[in-house]
Amino acid sequence: MPGWQAIYQQLKDKNFEIISVAQDTNGVKDAGKWITDAHPTYTALIDEKHLVSKLYNMVNVPTGVWIDEKGRIVRPNEVAFVDDRFKNYTGMDSAPYLGALKDWAEKGDKSVYVMSEAKLRDKLAVNDPDILLAAAEFGLGEQLYKSGHLQEAIPHFKEAQRLNPKSWNYKRQAYALSDAKRDYGTTFVDEVQKSGGSKVYYARPDLPAEVSPPEKKQ
Amino acid sequence: MLLRLIVGLLFVAMFSFAAAAKETTATIIYDDVTTEVNRAADAGGQLWITTADLKRATRFEVKPQGVCRDELCFPLTKGRKEEFLRHESGASWFNLTAFAQLVQQPVAHDEALATWYFGLRADQRQGLASLRAPDFTLPDMAGTMHSLSDFRGKKVFLVTWASW
Repeated sequence: MPGWQAIYQQLKDKNFEIISVAQDTNGVKDAGKWITDAHPTYTALIDEKHLVSKLYNMVNVPTGVWIDEKGRIVRPNEVAFVDDRFKNYTGMDSAPYLGALKDWAEKGDKSVYVMSEAKLRDKLAVNDPDILLAAAEFGLGEQLYKSGHLQEAIPHFKEAQRLNPKSWNYKRQAYALSDAKRDYGTTFVDEVQKSGGSKVYYARPDLPAEVSPPEKKQ
Repeated sequence: MLLRLIVGLLFVAMFSFAAAAKETTATIIYDDVTTEVNRAADAGGQLWITTADLKRATRFEVKPQGVCRDELCFPLTKGRKEEFLRHESGASWFNLTAFAQLVQQPVAHDEALATWYFGLRADQRQGLASLRAPDFTLPDMAGTMHSLSDFRGKKVFLVTWASW
């Protein structure tokens, strides 16, 4: 979060805003101290019901979306690391995406990183009934957990995970609310291994190759 | 003729929830808002509530032109009204699960805790196909509410994160 504050300082005069949204079922209780410590001047919101993930069909955190001045999506859901803290784990450099973000803040619709409508539609089209039902099962699980019924919530979290196996949010949030090994017979680490390992766990941002920063000559 | 009568009787039996289910309580989560209702009937996985509770739990109301909330209205075809509306035990009843199917809304149900979760309706999901960024209103740490639409006219980088 301090990373986003630094980027916001750099770009806020370019008609550019950052909205961060904490996907934490326990809200301020779990997310609060991170926000307090970062002293953000951008807009930092709390989303106990994972509404933003639901509305935008997001499957993991951190996920970034670019929205233009007219309220239109110009780059959809992509992993958005603010620094290289997890680079050893994910094998992913944060610089290309952050460079693209700065380019867009400066050039707006003229940025090469703004996606074509056809590509956006292709990426955003989700009407899979299983994915929709998964969101409902997850929402029910959250509600039961919050009303003190963790045991009853677990089958619904499992059903959400089964219906939308691509969602890491459904796994990670559910595991964080109980003992994953005991209640789900697995762990986050095991699941990452099963998916092919930490280097492929996050899909790479889909940045145009020809404008990626040139490799440094050795 | 006899066959038609039997089919007719079956039809009545299917939608006569009073015979199939006794009144109970239920917890309804609609648009992520939780409402307890004291009169509910679960008939074969179908949730019937009174039209008064319908308004309380969902803000939808049954009107001559359909099931409506503010500007939004879903008409009920004449021949299918029976599937949604009944008058029994001194109340008007509404089948909220049949309505969910009509508006393409996913429903999750916990039988033991009589809790029903209604997800996003088709009209709430249209944003993505049109490339319009779906609007939302959420609180900051201090409890002040902010909407995405407040930022219209600016470029917005929306980013999720979590403590877990």
